[in-house]
Amino acid sequence: MLFPSPAATSLSAACAGAVLFALGGAACAATSAPDWTFSGFGTLGVVHSDERQADYASSSMKASGAGRSAGWSRHVDSKLGGQLDLHLDARWSAVLQVVTEQRLDYSYRPRVEWANLTYQATPELALRVGRIAMPMFIAADYRKVGYAYPWVRPPIEVYSVLPLGSSDGVDLNWRWNGETLRSTTQVLFGRTDLPLYGGARLRGHAIGGLSHTVEQGAFSARASLVRARLSLSLFPELFDALDKFGAAGRDLGRRLEVEDKRASALSVGLHYDPGQWFVTGEAGSSKVGGYLGSTRSAYLGGGWRQGSLTPYAGYARVWGRRPPGPDSLAPDGLAPYQAAVGAKLNTALAALMRTVPSQSTFSAGLRWDAAPNLAFKLQHECVTTRAGSRGKFINPVPGYQSGRTAQVSSAALDFVF
Amino acid sequence: MKLSSRARLLAAVLLAACAALAQAGDLVVIVSARSPVESLRPEQVAAIFLAQSPRFPNGAVASALDQAVGSPERDQFYLRVAGKTPALLKVYWSKMVFTGRGQPPRELAGSAAVRRAVADDPALIGYIGREALDPSVRPVLLLH
Repeated sequence: MLFPSPAATSLSAACAGAVLFALGGAACAATSAPDWTFSGFGTLGVVHSDERQADYASSSMKASGAGRSAGWSRHVDSKLGGQLDLHLDARWSAVLQVVTEQRLDYSYRPRVEWANLTYQATPELALRVGRIAMPMFIAADYRKVGYAYPWVRPPIEVYSVLPLGSSDGVDLNWRWNGETLRSTTQVLFGRTDLPLYGGARLRGHAIGGLSHTVEQGAFSARASLVRARLSLSLFPELFDALDKFGAAGRDLGRRLEVEDKRASALSVGLHYDPGQWFVTGEAGSSKVGGYLGSTRSAYLGGGWRQGSLTPYAGYARVWGRRPPGPDSLAPDGLAPYQAAVGAKLNTALAALMRTVPSQSTFSAGLRWDAAPNLAFKLQHECVTTRAGSRGKFINPVPGYQSGRTAQVSSAALDFVF
Repeated sequence: MKLSSRARLLAAVLLAACAALAQAGDLVVIVSARSPVESLRPEQVAAIFLAQSPRFPNGAVASALDQAVGSPERDQFYLRVAGKTPALLKVYWSKMVFTGRGQPPRELAGSAAVRRAVADDPALIGYIGREALDPSVRPVLLLH
């Protein structure tokens, strides 16, 4: 097992930044001055949910959301991003993108989303080194840029199946154009280490990704495959207690703990956009060892452009499957004090199993392009958790009841500059 | 009688709309007179301007030149070759820029400036008002 130390990882991020600026300096010294561009994006959003027993959140990487913590939340979608592009010459360029949004520790500490150096070997072939967003689904690599998609947020049932946002490593983009069909193939290798809260971290190593995009006229499609080995050091007390609970507890803990477990995700997306209207459909499946379980997910959405107004609607669904094998301790033949501990552990394990998401969402909304760099969106969703799970909701009350439908309303202002 | 006055009003409105369109004028996509490129189809032009194709169909490397944001030439050009309104074009470039896949073409203000730059460099491609054409550049696509 390869576990990079936190210091090593922050060092690699710092190095990426240092490389950007060092190259900037070097290029300044050269005769042709490099071009640099600063651009940015952001979302100001509020969300209301009438479900009081858990928080509606845009991803499981958030500390709070709307519903239980507060009826209205500004933390679900609000974010601000800035990007520096450095164009050194015809072959070398660099990009640094920093985004601030609510994290698992409630802070808005900025995070480097992209930091890489591109070598354009030929007009068709580019090699990048540094931090690269995972090329999953149609919109995963620009999922923070609300302005770039019609809805308030990409469907959470599909887009949060794998907790991997980016990879530190290399990728290769190869563009090959036919007479009318244009294709882009991307291959990626890397690792990631993301501090969550307290001492908890998400680590991924041996990350491999393959994505292929084709475009022909109004039609585009993307298929992607990602594999990795994941470690997610959440719930240490539970797994410590299981480890001390005899052979049965130890086996159960080792099987369920996400510690160097295999993870994979496959997705296929189709998009048709002749200008006046558009329709998008994506389907994906993910499989992660340990308690994260496996999922199948899909969505279908579309909209109609009428001047600066775009009404849209969609349906999204995720079907979760719990990890195979028993997911609780058998109470038979235990001494009374052991049985009491076992019952407590089983309660915690049941709560853990509710995190394997099954959920569906009907959504309808309106996007108003008020100016060429400003969009205002209103969206309403009916979100139903299913199969005993808490779906994509976070912070559930202890006696959480699955199967209820939450009415979720969102307003967002997206901008780019 | 009332109907015919309505019809007359409608005709007047249509005529005014046609006049407005004619005023927007024809656009021509141009390359240098020294370039071997003879003609291009709208989708080939769109692919170069949207950074989807780095080359002319003959294999030579192509580099696009835009007119200024908000200019009628630019808005008409993207509407006609790619079916994109200014807002949809902004959406498109947001996806490209914030995933590090590309930057929009370099901008020059006015048809004359674009024509002068294109005339000097066979790798460049631009678009100008038809009335700004001269022998230093070759029209490869006419957009009505």
